[in-house]
Amino acid sequence: MHRRIITVGLATALALSLVTLTIAWRSPGNNQGYAPVQPIDFSHKLHSGEMQIPCVYCHLGAETSRYAGIPSLSTCMNCHRSVTSSFAAQKQSNPAESPELRKLYDSLAFDKALKPVAGKLPKPIAWKKVHQLPDFVYFDHRAHITAAVTCKTCHGPVETMDRMRQFETLSMGWCVSCHRDANQTGVAGKPVHASTDCVTCHY
Amino acid sequence: MPENPKHYWMSAANSSPTGRSHQVMNPANASSPSSNTESVIDEVNGDPEFITTRRSFLKAAGFTFAAAVAAGCSRPPELRSIPYLQQPEGGLVAGRPVLYGSTCDACEARCGLLVTTRDGRPVKIEGNPDHPLSGGSTCAVGQASILGLYDGERLQYPTRRGQRSTWSDVDKEIATTLDRIRQQGGAVRLLTPTITSPTTAALITAFLGSFKNARHVSYDPISTSAVLDAHALTHGARLLPRYRFDRADVIVSFDADFLGTWISPVEYTRGYTSRRRIDERSPSKSYHVQIESRLSLTGSNADQRLRVSPGEMGHIVTHLAMGLSRAAGFQIDNADLAPSPLEPALDAIAKRLWAARGRALVISSSQDVRVQVLCNFINREIGAYGATLDLEKPSYQRQGSDSELAELRAELARGDVQALIVAGANPVYDLPDAATLAKDLQRMPLLVSTAERIDETASLAHFVCPDHHYLESWSDAEPVSGVVSLTQPAILPLHDTRSILESLSAWTTGTPRPALDVVRDHWENEIYPRAKVSGSSDPFERFWSRTLEHGVAEIAPRESKTRPFDLKVVQQVLRPEELAPNAFSLVLYSKIGMFDGRHGHNAWLHELPDPVTKVTWDNYACFSPAAAGRLGIADGDVVRVAADGAPPLELPAFIQPGQHDATVAIALGYGRAGTDRFAKVGPPWFEARPPVGLVGANASPFVTTMDNRRRYSGLAVTVVKTGRRHPLASTQIHHSLEGMEGQEPRPIVQEMTLAELAAASGLPQQSRESNAEGDLWPSDHPSNGHRWGMSIDLNTCTGCSACVIACQSENNVPVVGQDEVRRKREMHWIRIDRYYSGSDEEPEVAHQPMMCQHCENAPCETVCPVLATVHSDEGLNEQIYNRCVGTRYCANNCPYKVRRFNWFDYPHEDRLQNLVFNPNVTVRSRGVMEKCTMCVQRIEETRIETRRLGQPIADGAIKTACQQVCPADAIVFGDLNDPKSRVAALAESNRAYRVLEDLNTKPAVRYLKLVRHGGKGRG
Repeated sequence: MHRRIITVGLATALALSLVTLTIAWRSPGNNQGYAPVQPIDFSHKLHSGEMQIPCVYCHLGAETSRYAGIPSLSTCMNCHRSVTSSFAAQKQSNPAESPELRKLYDSLAFDKALKPVAGKLPKPIAWKKVHQLPDFVYFDHRAHITAAVTCKTCHGPVETMDRMRQFETLSMGWCVSCHRDANQTGVAGKPVHASTDCVTCHY
Repeated sequence: MPENPKHYWMSAANSSPTGRSHQVMNPANASSPSSNTESVIDEVNGDPEFITTRRSFLKAAGFTFAAAVAAGCSRPPELRSIPYLQQPEGGLVAGRPVLYGSTCDACEARCGLLVTTRDGRPVKIEGNPDHPLSGGSTCAVGQASILGLYDGERLQYPTRRGQRSTWSDVDKEIATTLDRIRQQGGAVRLLTPTITSPTTAALITAFLGSFKNARHVSYDPISTSAVLDAHALTHGARLLPRYRFDRADVIVSFDADFLGTWISPVEYTRGYTSRRRIDERSPSKSYHVQIESRLSLTGSNADQRLRVSPGEMGHIVTHLAMGLSRAAGFQIDNADLAPSPLEPALDAIAKRLWAARGRALVISSSQDVRVQVLCNFINREIGAYGATLDLEKPSYQRQGSDSELAELRAELARGDVQALIVAGANPVYDLPDAATLAKDLQRMPLLVSTAERIDETASLAHFVCPDHHYLESWSDAEPVSGVVSLTQPAILPLHDTRSILESLSAWTTGTPRPALDVVRDHWENEIYPRAKVSGSSDPFERFWSRTLEHGVAEIAPRESKTRPFDLKVVQQVLRPEELAPNAFSLVLYSKIGMFDGRHGHNAWLHELPDPVTKVTWDNYACFSPAAAGRLGIADGDVVRVAADGAPPLELPAFIQPGQHDATVAIALGYGRAGTDRFAKVGPPWFEARPPVGLVGANASPFVTTMDNRRRYSGLAVTVVKTGRRHPLASTQIHHSLEGMEGQEPRPIVQEMTLAELAAASGLPQQSRESNAEGDLWPSDHPSNGHRWGMSIDLNTCTGCSACVIACQSENNVPVVGQDEVRRKREMHWIRIDRYYSGSDEEPEVAHQPMMCQHCENAPCETVCPVLATVHSDEGLNEQIYNRCVGTRYCANNCPYKVRRFNWFDYPHEDRLQNLVFNPNVTVRSRGVMEKCTMCVQRIEETRIETRRLGQPIADGAIKTACQQVCPADAIVFGDLNDPKSRVAALAESNRAYRVLEDLNTKPAVRYLKLVRHGGKGRG
């Protein structure tokens, strides 16, 4: 009797842990769906979706560098020197300054009139990194833009995301399968050489 | 493979098996490497702390599994992305390298640099191809100088009497004291090494001009004063000529290690090898005679080498001068000249020199001015002035004057000097009789040092005003008259340090002027007018910005006034100096890497094997095999070297073939204060080891003074065995490709003579492809795109080791420390194997750079159980760190012994030091194998960038780090499938061969055979 209770208990525990493991399991390093809360509630849906701003307007390194880069705050100010209120408040006659944009101005040490505050040092915004690759992977944005791979291919429907989220697994299998397919079918109708040599990414 | 191959050997211990044995080969007192290895193995296996029981294994395995499961459910740590506030101008994009033209400050040769920065920090130093002297090359020291920038033990603020202070306080107090001295008319002295910067020189003049009694004294830690003094005697101007090795077909060097450490080795190596490169249609090469006491790097490249003791040198130079006079048809009275056994050889050399008039050069590193005057005389006879020696555009790379230094020391001893500013020099370390000097300095009313750290001299100073690292500062240089270059900062100063230019201006005018303004003003007023003289019509703004971009400009030389050669000053040295029967004649030399000790805190350079001895992390007393036999010593036996007037020095012995029997050679530059910090270098598991003390011992107390000139050789010393042992961390027989003793020699280094090459040219090439029959590897991997390959010319490679450090810097190769090197665990991806052939007394030397050969049929690939090493379709042998599980099968199966295993996580906790890492190369962790990748990161970068621009990859667009740095241009990388590429052409050469071709590994690296002159005697 005693023994049966123990057996059943253990079996239930085992089953439960297996179920938990199956649900919660992910490969080490797989961060699909990661969407950290950012210091400023920046919306890609608004900028990229509704405003139709091209990706490389802000992420200007994507065409020429390994990193796409996070835009400098001066890039934000190209528009937000004149646009100081939220999108919803734009329709009002005298819209109030957006509290999210205030964070941008604060980090630039700007006052209400967007003039630098004397004696205050600007402090850059520490965004949380969404897409992280291991240190032994060398991904190059430039190569992919050159081959006409769209940003969406890896980053997903960014224009629908209010908060940026990692859309794909960014696992090696995912990379390699795309490289294999690209060699077969080409990218945007053009043949490409997407190498599957290890040293393409690992060196 | 030749029918009667030469026997090559790597160390005294594994030299000829033919019975030419001497005492060190006796197994009873076997030399260090083998016995050392055994004790090391015992140490590891026998230590109870390292024994793993089954229970502890299961515990560890269980924990590992649990940790893996936990890792699967967790997220990596949150990282932050911090953008710029303002987008920088000039197209700066994160992740793209930015190169700054600058000037190397690691020695006074002042090579041109392109400093590669990534995201605002310098990560790699490359040579500036536009520089007329260094032409895109650098040396090992220049490459390593970037590590000094990130040295956490640099002084980070000014100090006042040993306490942290501020610049304004320090300036105020120094200015007050200087004012008082100015009013009292007291003596102010500024002590520096050679100043090549015209701006600094001008500022020094301005600073000292405000005092009634002020003088600038410059001295070189390794002095060449006699060369300048001799020209003052013969030509009426204290000048160092610019040596044009690129114009010399016959070179005779008396002890000058011009390929290694003497004055401007990169410039000289470039010039020298340009005359050694073989044109196979009409093979010829320059003829180089080295007359020396120890086997230097330069001597190891010579076509003819004469072993002489330091005391004979002057006598032999006299004989050569006489021989040359005879050849020229002069009649010179030499009745009193003692005969020399080397006369026939010297006569032959004299004939060669005479035959090559106008294309020959004789140099000497002697500090005896009579010898230098004789060299000048010989050079005049053979028409070297104006041809291979340039006095119109002289060199400013050495200006130090030993007589001025002697005068200063006398003043200091008398207590006549009120203020001494020591800028960039460390006299308490590198001058003899340092204890007296230290006592004199302690009595000084004002002693200021600008040292980068609290060194031997700075520890006595009242104020230490640390100078920037050169990668943080503005400066300039004129190493050779008419060649001016700029030093520009590649990063903001990391610490609260200040440029010497700003310090001097603060002490002159009361307020520090920004160094950029000082340099710019000087250029506008002094340099630019000379540029206009040489025909430049640009306005100053353009001249300045263009020079800043190119890093260097050529302008009109300074006026130099020489008078015709004065024959009256030539003096014969009638007989050699006598040496007591049991005494040794001491030779102090400087070693590649350490030079005079100024880089004594650079771990890369400490771990760089000496090109000839292959010892790391130490200096030692070198003896010839015969002398060692006589003394009964072996490698690593500690000996006491004693001389009159200096404290005895205890050093491990090293047996060096090719050295003169009555000499002992010791390297300068070791035993720097604070180098005990390197006891901690290496894996953490031996941190509990007892402290090892300083790295090496300081030999500068043995520097002697004669006629006020510091001399580095000729001191009579006695040598006694102490009975203690200090195993040297020598790499010379590590990773040896040689077979076991008694086996047939393997075709690793190959050589031929000029005559053989001439005979072979025109003949069809012998088939290189091995017999496919019996081939274990199916040819199922065709290579249709690029096929990367390399060619290494053994004939031009001098063994200078710049490639070793360039590779270390480019590929994040860790430093493992002395103890790990003793265990054969050094990590260098490229090593230079040095082979001897011939006798112990007169060995011939061959240097062979060896790295992963990227075999088509790679033995490592067949044994890897996890496919962590595989072949790319472009012919590269890839090592994938994230796949490697560390079985080390590949290293065991590698016939070239080029794979390196990470036995530990080599410490990376110094976050400042980590900034030196190349962000394009993975930092490897414990338990993975690594090896040369042929700089695949550079291949990938170029491929992506050229594709982006829609261009093909041009031949030469990709340069590996070792190729880029090579002053001999011995390494060529490229696409073997491109018939027009340089590397493909070299692969078809009559000299091309692949190492261990009989194994059918088909390496992608081809060596070009060493070509010797052939004929009688050496060479």
